[in-house]
Order: sequence, then C-alpha cells, then structure tokens
Amino acid sequence: MISERLKNIICKELLLDTKSVEINDETQATEVPGWDSLNHANIIVAIEKDYGIRFKGLEVLKCNNVGALQNLIDSKVSK
Amino acid sequence: MIDFSTLKGATLWERWQYFAQTMPESEAIIHWRAADEPVRWTYASLLETANKFSHYLKNIGVKKGEVCALIIRHNPNFYPLYLGIVGIGALPSVLAYPNPRLHPEKFRQGLTGMAERSGLNWIFTETALEEIILPFVEDKNTTVNELFFPMEWNLDKGLNSDTIQELSEIRANVKSNEPMLLQHSSGTTGIQKPVVLSHEAILKHVENYGKSIQISNDDKVVSWLPLYHDMGLIAAFHVPLACGIPSIQIDPFEWVLAPILMFMAASEEKATLGWLPNFAYNLMADKLSDEEMEDLSLESFRMMINCSEPVRTESHNKFFNRFKDYGFKENALAAMYAMAETTLTVTQTEANKRANELSVDREQLSNGKVIVAVELNKKKICVSSGKLIDGCKVNIIDEKRNVVSKNGVGEIAVKSVSMFFGYRNYPEKTAEVLDENGWYYTGDIGFLYNDELYVIGRKKDIIIVAGNNIYPEDVEDAVSKVELVLPGRVIAFGEDDIELGTEQVSIVAETSVVSEEDLNYLRIAIIRAGMGINVNIHKVYLVPPRWLIKSSSGKPSRKANRTRILNKNDEQVWSKK
Repeated sequence: MISERLKNIICKELLLDTKSVEINDETQATEVPGWDSLNHANIIVAIEKDYGIRFKGLEVLKCNNVGALQNLIDSKVSK
Repeated sequence: MIDFSTLKGATLWERWQYFAQTMPESEAIIHWRAADEPVRWTYASLLETANKFSHYLKNIGVKKGEVCALIIRHNPNFYPLYLGIVGIGALPSVLAYPNPRLHPEKFRQGLTGMAERSGLNWIFTETALEEIILPFVEDKNTTVNELFFPMEWNLDKGLNSDTIQELSEIRANVKSNEPMLLQHSSGTTGIQKPVVLSHEAILKHVENYGKSIQISNDDKVVSWLPLYHDMGLIAAFHVPLACGIPSIQIDPFEWVLAPILMFMAASEEKATLGWLPNFAYNLMADKLSDEEMEDLSLESFRMMINCSEPVRTESHNKFFNRFKDYGFKENALAAMYAMAETTLTVTQTEANKRANELSVDREQLSNGKVIVAVELNKKKICVSSGKLIDGCKVNIIDEKRNVVSKNGVGEIAVKSVSMFFGYRNYPEKTAEVLDENGWYYTGDIGFLYNDELYVIGRKKDIIIVAGNNIYPEDVEDAVSKVELVLPGRVIAFGEDDIELGTEQVSIVAETSVVSEEDLNYLRIAIIRAGMGINVNIHKVYLVPPRWLIKSSSGKPSRKANRTRILNKNDEQVWSKK
C-alpha cells in the first residue's frame, strides 16, 4: 500500500491537495493531474531527496504504477 | 565525407536497395530496448523483410498513392513495414501513439480530423488499440478502407521469383517526383496540417543536409525522437537510411522515463550524431546522476543538434558543463532551423563547431533592430541556427511581405528545393502560407546576421512545449467546456520555464466561484480537461468575470491578458504558486 509520505511528495510537487486526488497502488502517472513527462523527472528527484535514496533510470522504467514505485522505494530504504 | 554523386537511386526504395546490394551486411537500424538486447537490422535483412511486407500489403489491396497510417509503438518490425509501404508506391504516415491520458474519443476526433485532410486509406496498428480505433474505421463517413495488425502477420515464408518480379514492376512505375510520404506538420488534436513530400524532395534534402553536417560513413545516429515528428522521421531516420549509415532508435516513451537510455546507447554504440529539442538539454543535465553516468562515455559525439524549439544559450552551457567530464565536446553543440514544409532543415550551424552566439540590445531588438549590445543589463544572447544549407533561401520580411533592411527583424520566409506540395486537401491554408513564387511564410520571427539565421520568436500564438507545437485554440476549447468556467472566457498561452528550458501551457479562465475549496477543485478540473487532449496545463490563473481584456474582435486577447497576468500583481488573480 502506498504511504502517506509518498502521496504527500507527489501532491506537493504537482501542487495538488491530497484530499482532492485519489492516489492508490494501481494509480498510473497518466491518471494524476499534472503528472506528465516533464514533471515526472521532478517527482522522482523529490522522492530521492525526501527518502535519501537514488534511483537508476531503468529501475523507474519498470514501475508501471504508484504501487510499484512504493515497492522500489521500500526496497531501497530497507537496504 | 560521403560522396553523394556515387550513390544510386532516384527513389527512396532504389536507394535502400542500392545499399542492400552494395553493403548488405552493414547495419541500417539498431532497435534499442531498455534492459534487453537490441534488434539489429542490416540493409539486407531490412529489405528482405520489407519485401515480404510489400507483398502482404499488395495482397490486401493497398495501391500506389494510398495513404497508410501507422500507429505502432516502438517495435522492430515497424521499420520494414514502413519500407514495405514505400516499396509498393503507397505513402506511409506515422501517427502519434495515443498517450494513455488522451481520452479515446479525443483520439478518434483527431483521427477524423486527420482523415478528412490527409485522406487516410488504411490503418496499421496494434491489437491493443483495436477497441479505440475500430469505431472510427466503422464510421460510415470514414475514408479508411480497413484496419490491420501487421505486427501479427506471419512473415516466415520467403517470396518466390514471380512475386519479386511483380514487386519490381510496381517499383519501376514509381517516379522520383511522386509523393513518398505524408507527415503532419504540427498540431494537437484539432488542426493537423498534412504535408506530402516526394522522393526527390527527400533525397535532395538528404544530400544538401548531409553535406552541411559533413556526414560520413563513420557516423552513427542515436535518437529517441518520435517518428511522427519531422525531426525524428527525417533527421534521425531518413537521413541515415538514405546515406547508408546506422541509426539507433530508442522508444520515446521509455526515454522520458529513463533519459539515461540515450547515453547508454550512444556510449555502447559510439554514436556521433544526435538531435534534441532544447528542453532535453536541461532535462538530461539536471536529472542524470553521476551514478547513472558512471562508465559512460560521450566522446564519440561530434554533433548534438538543437532544434524544434527556441535554442537557449543557458541550455547549451548547462549541458556542456554537466557532461564535459564524460567526454562531451563543446564543439558538438550545434543548432538548426527546420520545418516539415521544407522536408526539414533550412539552416544548420557549422559542422563540428559550437553554435555562434550574439549579444544584442534587448530593447532595440523589440523595436525590430539588431544592435550588438554593449550594456550588460540590456543584453540578450541569441543562439545562431546557422547558415543556409544548399538549395534553401531565406528572406526576412515585414508585415506587407517586403524584405526588411539589413539587420532588420521580421518574419522568416523560406524557399527550398525540398519544398512540400502544399497542405493536402487544405488549399485555403496553403494559400495563406505559400505564395505563387514558392515562398513559404513560416510565422517565425528572426533576423540574419553575418549570413547566419537567428530565430527569436513567433508571429503566431503557438505554444512549443518540449518540441511539440500546441495550438492555444485547442486548449481553450477544452477548458471552456469545464463546468464553472465561463464559456469562451479563457485564454491559453506559453509561459517560459527557464529551469526546464521550454515553454509550459498556462491558462487564464474567468469564473464566478470564490471559495478556496471551489477554486482548488476548478484548477484540477481544468488540468484534467487538458489531460483529455493530451496537453499538460502547468499553471492555472482563475479570475473573476469580465477580468479578461477583449480584442477588437470581441474575444479575449491572448497577448494583452498574458502581459497583464505576467506583469501585474493583481489581487483578483487566483493561482497556486
């Protein structure tokens, strides 16, 4: 399940109110208002900064929804 | 450098076949895949499979001159299919693969608009899109004969000599001055302008452009650019293929998620040439980490050519400073000025030399004069798009289409030996932009200085986001339909995003709602309306009724309201900072 922390980072980056958008495990980037290819890179950087982790481009490529992104974050944080 | 006088072939098929015969095992296309081995097409294997596609296409009834729309995501069999269409004298037309955020109905509307002008005869796509596209094909008014899924075709069987003979006869009847492809010059959903180019126009362009960048047999292209875009299709696909050099093709959808892919491919394959829209310079410089760049070398690049949106000196500096330690050379920072209507390139900066920059007086420039700046605070640095390539002419003209005086600023008019035929089935639009003497009026604003072209803006209101042209009308129409927005009381404009090195779409909309909650809700509804037409609205400014300044036609003025929004700290304007 995606954490409030991740949801907050995404919403903060896209200037969205966390109450006004639904983001769950199955949500894809294209369903979130403002999450386009240009903002995608900013969101990834914001996550990296907040969690103190680094993604590799190919790792992110494999994430097809927010749940997969959360799993990737968790795997890095637990290392 | 390639000696073009030795290359055979008056049509594209003949040129490809010439390479398949003279250098069969040379690589033509390297189909790059993230985390997987690339698929490598040689000229011989590519043409062999293209022949099979030609045979298949002929059997299903595709005829010479018919337009074949291709809506296929990154697939190794896309290339021989494209060549196979050309191989029976039909016209391939690569269309954008629908972004998941684009509403299916909007996608079909786009197809309908395109079919009206372009006269699409056949659609070749993937089974995954059947549900979305079929209603369009089954519409009683459609021009499309049928929908096919060529990636599913069984191509195992070889062709017999009779079939090859039949195909040769078809090809012998294709003349160099006949249409070869159809591409769409720009547009979001509503206004698509179909551009038809002949074999001759493309081959001449390949030669003239190839000479300007001193293309040689040692060159190798790397590209993630979509093939529905002129820069991707002509510069990164047709130019190498008609010069006999390899091109590495990367999936644009994958590149936006993992920009490192371009450098991984370039480093491994030792690519020498690349084309990028300006935003990509910023994106790659800002986002690629040292960890990702570890073990990669950019030494092989001799030209990275900036095109498709205004070229910014900050972006060149940022890119060079970020990647110089990985072997990227300053002299590889190049630029060009190009458009689909002239096949592609009009001007190109000198090969293997950094694009020139000129410091001009900002105030004088806005008054239409180019004066080299002396005062630092008045300085604007313009990046050159280079000198005319052979076969092209440029005039800088005023409002009455008279040539301006030396160092004057005005609209850029272009003449080229690789000019399009006019917009297909769109005579009124053609008449607006193409005169009886063959001059094409680009709508771009610029000036000539020391025989180099500097492009500084646009006459039209088009917004260029990451190399894609977006018509404000399309966005305004979509936003106008949002509940709580006052119908017709909307403007869309491009706002500079210096950090990203591109423009972003901003909206000003009138509404009667006043509470913070309602305004927030409306902002998201407006962004969603943009998503429905595959446009990301970056900033939403909400204003009370009668706030927008009207033009003489009674419609809200984009220019005046843009200035008002950007210059004035108006308490009546609501936006998220």
